[in-house]
Amino acid sequence: MAQLSALQQAAMQANQNRFAVEVRHVKKAYGPNGETEVYSDLHFQLLKGTFVALVGPIGSGKTTMLNMFAGLDKPTAGNILVMGQDITQMEPDSLATFRARTIGLVPQVQTLIPELTVYENVELPLHFAGVPREERQRSMEQVLERVGIRGESGRTVSTLSVGEKQMVSFARALVNNPPIILLDEPTEALDPLMSQVVLGLLRGDNMTLGRTIFVTTHDRRVTDLARRTLRVKKKIP
Amino acid sequence: MSRGLSILESQLLARSLKVTRSTHLLVASVTAAVASSATLAMQFTGPLGEIAMSAVIFASLALGTWAISSEIFSRSSQTISNLRSIGATRRSLSSAVLMPVLVYGLAGSALGAVIGVGLGLALGGFAGAIVLLLEVVAVILASSVASFVGVYVGGRAAWRS
Repeated sequence: MAQLSALQQAAMQANQNRFAVEVRHVKKAYGPNGETEVYSDLHFQLLKGTFVALVGPIGSGKTTMLNMFAGLDKPTAGNILVMGQDITQMEPDSLATFRARTIGLVPQVQTLIPELTVYENVELPLHFAGVPREERQRSMEQVLERVGIRGESGRTVSTLSVGEKQMVSFARALVNNPPIILLDEPTEALDPLMSQVVLGLLRGDNMTLGRTIFVTTHDRRVTDLARRTLRVKKKIP
Repeated sequence: MSRGLSILESQLLARSLKVTRSTHLLVASVTAAVASSATLAMQFTGPLGEIAMSAVIFASLALGTWAISSEIFSRSSQTISNLRSIGATRRSLSSAVLMPVLVYGLAGSALGAVIGVGLGLALGGFAGAIVLLLEVVAVILASSVASFVGVYVGGRAAWRS
């Protein structure tokens, strides 16, 4: 009996290892008494290496879901496991360090630091993850080259255009080589050429590096690229 | 999680939070002013007056650094949440504010103590070398502990909000 239980546990463990994100009966509500309910019982898993697009009307809670996966917003009830770790139970500082190593986040609203240069902004997550200097330099050269912003690395972020900032934000999300990338409307502020670069990188990262990609979007080109599309139907009243 | 903050990381965070030269100057000059006047006053009072002056230093600098750190944390609250979203810990953000305040606070109080002793000597308030030395040490100690307490309390309040 004990053996069976051990086997069952091992099977469960193996099953859990297949998932990049596990959402377990998540409820999310806003307001002092939780009167504005965004999600009542969200329950699904994202396999490692998948590419999922989340679509739905504005205000339907797409960014909320993304922020909950990143641990920036806590569910009202339920649990979220990212790479097997329950982020809803983590202390703030452990969660911040876990996020630096595990999740690359490209938010819709710019979160770059305007006082710092492009290079310094992209380098920040490497510092937070405690990466040594030589490795930092190597990662920086690679990512600036891949995203095509090497020429802008000395510029202060406040002098960049909206599209350029989005590309820097994208480089910052990739620099730590995280297993999961979360993107909130990544192509919205981009011109067609920049969009092509981002879509190409996402496809490449997903196909060859096996990175898990979760993206909220209204862009047909992104949903065409995704392996699975989730649709949020209900609009918050 | 016990990883120390590198100098480069600390500088990047301080710049992100707009802890600039003017902040350093403000901390150093406020500390120097409080320390010099207290050291000067100490030389014309008895032991009770010295204790009272140490308490004055402690209270005024704790309040001053609390105000400075609260101001830094509140004006940079958006920057702080942006930095946390890419992995900055509360500990590293607090250190980025705490370290400059401590270093410049210490430098300011040391300078202030020397100025206070100089002024006291000029005004004929000499109380003996040992006593003077003790006064200087007391001033520096009181002001550095006060700076730490001020920033720490300011930071704690910011994290709760």
